[in-house]
Amino acid sequence: MSQAITMPVLSDTMSNGRLVRWVKKSGDKIKKGDVIAEVETDKAVMEVEAFQDGYLSGPLAAEGTEAPVGQTIGYIADNLAEISSAAATAVQPGPNAGNGNAAAAPAVELSAVSPVLAASMAALRPSPRPGPPPSTLRTSAGPAAARMPVRNPALSALEAGPPNRVERASSLREAVARNMIASAATPSFRVTAQLPLAALTEAAKERQQSLTLLLARACALTIVAHPLFNAAYTPDGLARRDRIDVGIAVDSGDGLITPVLRDAAGRSWAALAQDWNSLRDKVKSRRLMPADYSGATFYLSDLGVFSVVYAFDSIIPLGASAILSVAASRRQGTFFTLTCDHRVVFGADAARFLETLGQQLQDPDKLLA
Amino acid sequence: MSQELLYWQALNRAMDHEMAADESVFTLGEDVGLYGGSYRVTEGLFAKYGEWRVRDTPISENSFTGLGVGAALVGMRPVVEIMTVNFILLALDSIINGAAKIPFMSGGQFKMPLVVRVPGGIARQLAAQHAQRLEHTLMNVPGLRIAVPATPQDAYWQLRQAIASDDPIIVLEHELLYFTKGQVDLVAEAPPMHRAAVRREGRDLTIVSYSRHAVLAQEAANELAEENIEAEVIDLRSLKPIDWDTCAKSLEKTHRLLVVEEDCRFAGAGAEIVATLTERCFYSLDAPAQRLAGLDIPTPYNGALEAATIPQIPDIVAAARELCRPTPETKAA
Repeated sequence: MSQAITMPVLSDTMSNGRLVRWVKKSGDKIKKGDVIAEVETDKAVMEVEAFQDGYLSGPLAAEGTEAPVGQTIGYIADNLAEISSAAATAVQPGPNAGNGNAAAAPAVELSAVSPVLAASMAALRPSPRPGPPPSTLRTSAGPAAARMPVRNPALSALEAGPPNRVERASSLREAVARNMIASAATPSFRVTAQLPLAALTEAAKERQQSLTLLLARACALTIVAHPLFNAAYTPDGLARRDRIDVGIAVDSGDGLITPVLRDAAGRSWAALAQDWNSLRDKVKSRRLMPADYSGATFYLSDLGVFSVVYAFDSIIPLGASAILSVAASRRQGTFFTLTCDHRVVFGADAARFLETLGQQLQDPDKLLA
Repeated sequence: MSQELLYWQALNRAMDHEMAADESVFTLGEDVGLYGGSYRVTEGLFAKYGEWRVRDTPISENSFTGLGVGAALVGMRPVVEIMTVNFILLALDSIINGAAKIPFMSGGQFKMPLVVRVPGGIARQLAAQHAQRLEHTLMNVPGLRIAVPATPQDAYWQLRQAIASDDPIIVLEHELLYFTKGQVDLVAEAPPMHRAAVRREGRDLTIVSYSRHAVLAQEAANELAEENIEAEVIDLRSLKPIDWDTCAKSLEKTHRLLVVEEDCRFAGAGAEIVATLTERCFYSLDAPAQRLAGLDIPTPYNGALEAATIPQIPDIVAAARELCRPTPETKAA
């Protein structure tokens, strides 16, 4: 018996996954719990573990293939004999390649006829095997997509310009694009303040602590005084959260990701610092899990490392009511821009928030407690 | 002596004839009186026979159908009009528990000379609750008889026969047939009420259908003839009982069966027709019997989608062509 390995569901929002690589080869002996493949989800590369002992067996989906969750990407065989027979089916050439199941073939032709006729004809043929055969894995994304030309307005604008080629965006970039479009419906406004950051910058240097983390802490303590900034708008009312989780925008090289610092107001500085180090390591190795980057109640974006950045503002991610944008540090004071969801907070709320934040920035000792 | 009449006019003549001949015949239903019937079937009868014999009723299908059942029990010959088959659902207790059961449960002491006339089928964009075919529901009721006239001549004959019959009979009239024309002979002797009609002789396959789709099947057969496929078209005329002999005789000649129905495929009339004819004619068939039926979904309102849910002439032509295509098995044989 061989058991199918399917594209795993690794996050709530995951509908497709890309098979990054097989860690084991077909025929390799594997133990339950061994890492057999790596799969790229919305935002991270995750490991797929063997669910039983056996041998990795083909046909295996090609590396780089994108497949919907639940689709078979390979098999685990009980013994080596099964592998050789599976391999034979995998390489079998012929007219059925790409279709796999001969009985299913007429159904494809029938899709062009009326549904009434299709229903009539379908009843005369044996039912196809449930689920697509693994041999169609490779072709499902390619020719199917090619058959259905989607007229995208962006593409016709491109046609008027110089020759171009479209490169597939990374999963991370696509996820960011989706989220940003979803966020665009939020009615937002911006309030900018010029606040002194020198004391905090000095304290960070002196004690070798992360300035970003200090800013996140300052935000969290400010929210304690202004709890409305921890709420989120829903059609049923305001969702009030009893913990302050600060999402911190991080440049991951291939786009943007926001690891979340949980309970940034309630926990000790030491605990937060330890958490932050581990999150940064995960970002570097692209091992950030959905639980690590989702569910923030407030966001912070710090472009202070770029001394050229005078001021900027950000887009409020879904699930939060505000995001704070911190520009480069200046002698006369640094520009802090708070972008807010006007359904939740108002201009005066934002002004009071920035006032309190300014006081927090003057008291590094309190932040480092 | 025949004349050209519309389907509704043929029904109107049948009503008039029976009411003039027999005083116990009367009709009742919503808008059958002053208004003359939703599809004009009772037009002029109110003026001619008066309000006692042409009764307008409130919107109360189970009550006025029950009234018809009671009147039939005491010797009247009521013709109940249900405005559309969709509303017959409210009258099913009177029809199924009353009309269909009382003759049986009384050991034949009570007769049930009740006629229920029902416009139905998919007309044009009346939406799901007004575009149903409920023949499958009625076919499954022992004790009922069901006539499905497809032509003005049959409408005339079968309504008269239904009124003359002592059994409860449902006459299913298709809403898109009311304004179709045909020659009607008012004096010729009618064939038996439940006899099927071979509308077109053929040699290559038998298309069995009823009501409006029997008409469509004939048009499809004419198109098939241009491709040298000769389809024999049988119009069942009756869904309960079904004239199996006429169908079987045809299959012994053509060896191929295509059943076309407007009703949903699942557990519909076509299922019964295919099952029984396969039982009876298995060794005569050269290919599996095939059904072309309405989709198993409520009828969409959108006109294009509505049309896509029921068999159209090109579907019938394509299915017949496919059925007649030589298969590897038949070649080997």
